[in-house]
Amino acid sequence: MMTAKQQKKVKSNTSFIIKVILGIIFIAPLIIGVAFSIQTEETLVTYPLKLIAENPTIQNYVEVFRKVPLLAYLKNSVIVCACAIIGQVVFSSLAAYAFVYFEFPLKKLLFTLVLATMMIPGEVVVITNYVTIQNMGLINTYMALILPSLVSGTSIFLMRQYYLTLPKDFKEAATLDGCSDMGFLFRIATPLSIPTISSLAVYLFVQIYNQFFWPLLVTNKDTMRTIQIGISFLTTSDIISYGQILAGAVVAIVPSVVVYIFGQDYIIKGMTAGGVKG
Amino acid sequence: MSRQKELPLAKKKRVRPLPYLLIAPAMALFTMFTFYPFIRTIILSFALTNKAGNFSKWVGFANWTRVLSKASFWNVVGITLKMAAVNLICTMLVAMIFALLATKKVRFSKVYQTMYALPMAIASSPAAAIFLFIYRQKNGLLNNILGTNISWLTEKPTAIWAVCAMTIWMHIGVSFIFLLVGFRNVPEDLLESAWLDGAGPLQRIRHIIIPMASPQIFFVVFLNIASSFKTFAQIKLLTQGGPANSTKTLIYYIYENAIINGRFETACVQAIFLFLLIFLFTRIQFALENKVVHYQ
Repeated sequence: MMTAKQQKKVKSNTSFIIKVILGIIFIAPLIIGVAFSIQTEETLVTYPLKLIAENPTIQNYVEVFRKVPLLAYLKNSVIVCACAIIGQVVFSSLAAYAFVYFEFPLKKLLFTLVLATMMIPGEVVVITNYVTIQNMGLINTYMALILPSLVSGTSIFLMRQYYLTLPKDFKEAATLDGCSDMGFLFRIATPLSIPTISSLAVYLFVQIYNQFFWPLLVTNKDTMRTIQIGISFLTTSDIISYGQILAGAVVAIVPSVVVYIFGQDYIIKGMTAGGVKG
Repeated sequence: MSRQKELPLAKKKRVRPLPYLLIAPAMALFTMFTFYPFIRTIILSFALTNKAGNFSKWVGFANWTRVLSKASFWNVVGITLKMAAVNLICTMLVAMIFALLATKKVRFSKVYQTMYALPMAIASSPAAAIFLFIYRQKNGLLNNILGTNISWLTEKPTAIWAVCAMTIWMHIGVSFIFLLVGFRNVPEDLLESAWLDGAGPLQRIRHIIIPMASPQIFFVVFLNIASSFKTFAQIKLLTQGGPANSTKTLIYYIYENAIINGRFETACVQAIFLFLLIFLFTRIQFALENKVVHYQ
């Protein structure tokens, strides 16, 4: 006979295993992508398909890197992400600092405008922005890829929410000690907000790295494509087999999934901070 | 919006330029890539454009009447709403179950918590490559499993479901996270006292967890509607709006008109229509919020 304690343990272990199995079923498409990316083209066209490869091979990865400038795509994605994240962190810190620590005419109106940007989805203005970028002659440039992602209402809102939680007498004390306005921002407010900035940065990385619509519109030269756009063109190419497409897809997925797994607490914080009341 | 009070910064001094300088970069970018294009989109919806998408001449409401009088446009709106409804119901259902399963923090619960949210970190383009392999007719995975020979993405009854399935898979993670945060905020002692009063698990979910987490549930419902309206990549990569326009949504129609057909003024009308649709749902959200939601 099992004791009550043992029974409880068996029960909790069973529930744990069921929950993990559910999770594995849920991420099956990811497993499928990896499992078939290490199979030869012959096995992929042979019925029936087998999830576990008999002779696993990394040939698809070698081939896709050889045929397609994946490294250039990845480099473009990293440049875009880095610039956009730095831009958003800097510009949103500056703006949030002004909104929290200063009183000035038109402050209410300007903050309302920041909130108003959150009511206009990027998808509504994407076509007109494309025309703007085209008129400026910026198609196929990093500027085109980066400019619209340099600021967002959400990031200003997030930084502002954080600054509002800082004790109010910090600034007064710093000013009495002879600290200038900008000195307070750089030497006190910014270092204190590192956790919030990290949340914002990790959240933005996943979001910007995964962008599709905008980079699709403003790039048409192969060497300027981001990884997502590069991968999307593989499926329409004739010289690339399906195993190689899957290999390319797995390469594109790895960075954001790794960042997600290690930074998920930051992402959750970033996502939920500005989101819901209560 | 802001729940906290702004800092009372006493002494009225003369206007200093510093706060304006701090806000200037953000405002310049907003003006250029949000306000200006928004106003321009409205203006161009009343004009004709040239091939490059620039103004050529005024036509008043002609674009609007042309777009709104077409049955094909309302068909697209209908598909957009249908997809939003399907995505909303399925995403909520699965996310709710996952969040309830993961609410209690135990050792290694991070393992399944990570898995339930993981697809949200995956971009639509590589995900589409994998789903194309699953859906393909010739020795595709789904046909292998079911022993069928269906062209899932090019036959009318199945295409919309195939697209929705991928969207739902990608959207569950975000909903799961918000719901999880909400469910974990439910005070433990409340659940315990309900348990002592003899409330079973389902009763506790219905009478305590769901009402207490209603702000998050409510938020996630409208978040899903909005993100479904904005779903573009799946349609572009899986079906291009086909077969026979059965998966053509508003956002894809806008893209097709502007980029493929070069009809920017038509795209502008539809973009403003999309804005109004999203705006309408936001108004509904705000109007219902205080009636439906239980704030602690």
